[in-house]
Amino acid sequence: MPPKVDPTKCDGCQGESEPLCEQVCPGNLMTLHKETMKAIIRDKSDCWDCMTCTKACPRQAIQTVLQYQLAYFPGKLIPLVGTNSVTWTSIDCHGRVERFVMKTLVSGDDEDED
Amino acid sequence: MAERVYIDADVLILGGGTSGCIAAWEARQAGGDDLKIVILEKAFIRHSGCLSAGMNALNMYINQGTPEDYVSYVRYDICGAPIREDIILSVAGEVNDTVKLMESAGLPMKKKEDGRYLNRGKWNIEVNGSLLKPVTASKAFEAGAEIYNRVYITELIIKDGACVGAVGFGVRDGKFYICRGKVTLLCTGGAAGLWRPNNRRDAHHRIWYFPFNCGSAYAMCKRAGAEMTSFEMRLVPIRTKDTFSPTGTMSIGMGAPMVNALGEEFMEKDPYYVSWGGHTAPTPIRMLAFQRETLAHRGPIYLDTTKGDPAKVTGLKGQYLDMSPCIVLYWGCNDIDPSKEPIEIDGGDPYLVGAHAGMSGAWTKGITRETTVQRLYVSGDALGAAPSRFISGSWTCGRIAARHMVKALKENNYQFADIEDDLCDTLEDRTFGPLKRYQEKSAEGLWSDGTLMSGITHKDMESRMQKIMEEYCGGRTHWYFVNETYLGIARKQISRMRQDQLQYLCARDLHELQLSWDVINRLDVCQLVIEHMSYRKETRFPGYVNRTDYPEPDPEFDCFVNSVWDRKTDEVRCFKVPYEQVVPGDRKKQSI
Ligand SMILES: Cc1cc2nc3c(=O)[nH]c(=O)nc-3n(C[C@H](O)[C@H](O)[C@H](O)COP(=O)(O)OP(=O)(O)OC[C@H]3O[C@@H](n4cnc5c(N)ncnc54)[C@H](O)[C@@H]3O)c2cc1C
Ligand code: SF4
Ligand code: SF4
Repeated sequence: MPPKVDPTKCDGCQGESEPLCEQVCPGNLMTLHKETMKAIIRDKSDCWDCMTCTKACPRQAIQTVLQYQLAYFPGKLIPLVGTNSVTWTSIDCHGRVERFVMKTLVSGDDEDED
Repeated sequence: MAERVYIDADVLILGGGTSGCIAAWEARQAGGDDLKIVILEKAFIRHSGCLSAGMNALNMYINQGTPEDYVSYVRYDICGAPIREDIILSVAGEVNDTVKLMESAGLPMKKKEDGRYLNRGKWNIEVNGSLLKPVTASKAFEAGAEIYNRVYITELIIKDGACVGAVGFGVRDGKFYICRGKVTLLCTGGAAGLWRPNNRRDAHHRIWYFPFNCGSAYAMCKRAGAEMTSFEMRLVPIRTKDTFSPTGTMSIGMGAPMVNALGEEFMEKDPYYVSWGGHTAPTPIRMLAFQRETLAHRGPIYLDTTKGDPAKVTGLKGQYLDMSPCIVLYWGCNDIDPSKEPIEIDGGDPYLVGAHAGMSGAWTKGITRETTVQRLYVSGDALGAAPSRFISGSWTCGRIAARHMVKALKENNYQFADIEDDLCDTLEDRTFGPLKRYQEKSAEGLWSDGTLMSGITHKDMESRMQKIMEEYCGGRTHWYFVNETYLGIARKQISRMRQDQLQYLCARDLHELQLSWDVINRLDVCQLVIEHMSYRKETRFPGYVNRTDYPEPDPEFDCFVNSVWDRKTDEVRCFKVPYEQVVPGDRKKQSI
């Protein structure tokens, strides 16, 4: 379920040696578009939909969108990553909102969490 | 010629996943400060492999009883078939200690009021594992292992029957990596993508297993001449329909039963399933029941979450967010509420895994994790004949492998091998073959759509391979049925691809080179699967492999099927290896 990148939010991770979404993808799928310098997925059909890139983006520019063959439009699931937890907001196709806070780490030691 | 990077390691670890990271940590404990430990990982170690979406349970933990009871459970769960009880026992003996280690690394464990870990069923414990991979990787950092991200390993270096290192290419830098190891641990996971997935087109990677583990461990072991085992014992999963998310959260976690379209709990109705234990029957039997119900036109089949523990349904979405967040999005988009309606399930494409409910992998000597190729060790999904080790068992296996590696290294005083230029050149040509070919063949002309006139892409090859495996080697659309005639066709077609067609495989860039190697490796694994299935002339794992020509188990095959590949003839020679029962008792019953 490929990540879609909002070009108004993505800044290409300027200042990073490598864009964060590109750095983390286990399938080597994210990269910057050569002209726009915004993140794109090389091949959306190759995505496992692990949401690692979505969670890693510091500008919340990535939204995981399910393939239309599997799911109706326009439901959303948005993760917001904190130091020791992730807050997930689920908005179904009718606009109903649910929130979940999931623990991720016991200590705050892992400062460089991306 | 590509720029070369030379790396030397006392302990060389290929694949920085579940197993590899903890192996690095244990190697440091066992080998001391001076040991040089190197990990090569094709992705980014903090977020790679099976754990990359997170996980919500550790499926191996001795909550009760003894390690022997766990062995008895594992044996029962694959219908009493032969397993390496010695290996499972060695893992079961220290898995609890490993879990404690990971708790101290920051993994949030769920606990009961009495402070004990919250169990799910008999042998699982629940965790908040959305960062399970970064936590696992932190142990490799702590060990001071030298980590190379984005290096794809293509081949082991074998000299005089021993493994002396490995080569690969930089997925980003395009360099040729030549790595010498005094001992080498290969743990690049299992294999997905041999058969055609249920979802097509833009959803073709919405499968259960991690799609970027493509059998490189099996293929490299095979090409190195290692003895391989149990490639007929694939895993055929029942998972949630469409998303193929794990189902244990509902079936074991809330006790949601399988029901058919009539609402019948068929596992508790049919005397055959009841004789196997009903709802908790062995994994292949549950798969078989799913197949039979659907073929009898009583589908769709569901996990009835409305009949499960109502207190648990509220936490269900949270648990999935920790492991397979896409299903929560899927439920939201499709107006599905698991507390009000049952969740539809489906049979997926088969996988080769050694650590889950399948047991393909390399054969190992005793409990050392050393393969039949000297100085080459395996762990995690790459290790064969010892199923149901899962995450916690893969961590533990990494530890056990590391200790044996360090011991062998010291006892034998292994040294770095000289690797001649000729060998390096050959391996480099092979590694970059598809990329070089693209350059050569693009000079021969392009079609108007920009594709090569004289070359084939990894995508074309993948489609062809998956079509052959699907239709002639028991894919989902064939209800996992095979017979000798079908297998004969599969053998002929896969051989043709391997022997004659790979010369046309071309890669435009480094990303495509990686994908090309994924296909090369998977084709090698296909050959193992076909030969093993063909050799085992019986049906020992109904539901996983249904042989229509030999539908019953045959006592002659109450053994392992192992094989060795002959490089000269390209033949896989299969043979029987006797099973040794270590834990006494009825193999078709759980002891507790
Ligand atoms: C969806 C899913 C759900 C699961 N749920 C559970 C669960 O709830 N509980 C449980 O206990 N177990 C579960 N398991 C099983 C468990 O995750 C695996 O058994 C275990 O993670 C396997 O570990 P591994 O080290 O063999 O593989 P991995 O952790 O996948 O490591 C393999 C590593 O090798 C790298 N690699 C691959 N090829 C190459 C190459 N050619 N060169 C370099 N590097 C390479 C990969 O990028 C990866 O980092 C689940 C598995 C899956 C797929
Ligand atoms: S991580 Fe976010 S901001 Fe950075 S390149 Fe990717 S999408 Fe753009
Ligand atoms: S969801 Fe996962 S597999 Fe897909 S692009 Fe993002 S990081 Fe890669």
